[in-house]
Amino acid sequence: MRAKLEEIMSRVTIDTLEKLAFMFAYPDEDGEAQPKGSVVAGSVAFTGPFSGTLVVAMSIEVLQELAANMLGFDDDEETTEDHRSDALKETMNVICGNLLPAIAGNEVIFDIGVPGVLPSDQEMKIGAGIPDGLELSAKVNLDLDEGQCVLFLFLDGKIPKDVVSP
Amino acid sequence: MAINILIVDDSGVMRSMIKKTLRMTDVPLGIIHQAGNGREGLDVLGEQWIDLAIVDINMPVMNGEEMIDRMLEDPEMKKLPVIVVSTEGSKARIERLEHKGAVFIHKPFTAEVVRDTINSILGIEEGDES
Repeated sequence: MRAKLEEIMSRVTIDTLEKLAFMFAYPDEDGEAQPKGSVVAGSVAFTGPFSGTLVVAMSIEVLQELAANMLGFDDDEETTEDHRSDALKETMNVICGNLLPAIAGNEVIFDIGVPGVLPSDQEMKIGAGIPDGLELSAKVNLDLDEGQCVLFLFLDGKIPKDVVSP
Repeated sequence: MAINILIVDDSGVMRSMIKKTLRMTDVPLGIIHQAGNGREGLDVLGEQWIDLAIVDINMPVMNGEEMIDRMLEDPEMKKLPVIVVSTEGSKARIERLEHKGAVFIHKPFTAEVVRDTINSILGIEEGDES
């Protein structure tokens, strides 16, 4: 199940980054790559047939490019912290919104919470902000030209077998 | 005919993305108004001439579905074409919005999908854009 979740999470994220921001990400085959330098992380919780939290951490360089591309900025235009925060939250919202039906199909209903950016002192403590009792069920490392992006899916218990899309 | 459009989304980045995407289409654009939630969206609709509303669903203060419900109760607004742009993946929820007259575009979207949807909902045929 974990391998299937990670394959779906990888595919959905790559597709989202390409369509939202014309950014091309590739799965890190070794799964060892960690964002280097400054990292920004955020999370979005969801409830439904299964519940949990998606955490996304990315290099600041990836986030700068993401925000600039989403906004259609020219190379000489700089993004603000608000732009970057908003871009991360919207990207997490789109990834989560596409991930859940990719796992469970479109017959079930999920409620997705309001995405948030983790405080800077918690950036690399990936468990920070995750409610007790949630287990790490999938992790995906992606490489981009600008740096790395890592996704963590924390679930409250197991995914019921009858809701997994074939 | 220039089309005045109202974009309602709580994300400023997403509003900018939709605006940028609209400029990439051949749709003849008039004034593009923006609002951060359904309540603000209704206020703009009450004050400005709008030909098309592009509305997100999950927003604070007033969500997109409630905004559409309020529009349907208002004789001045009930016939305004509405496009919902959302990550919603539930077939039942999408069908519920469609029954309320909205046309659904899934995020992430392409400029072609936005153009084709606007042309279809406003009855613009290819070559009519200018």
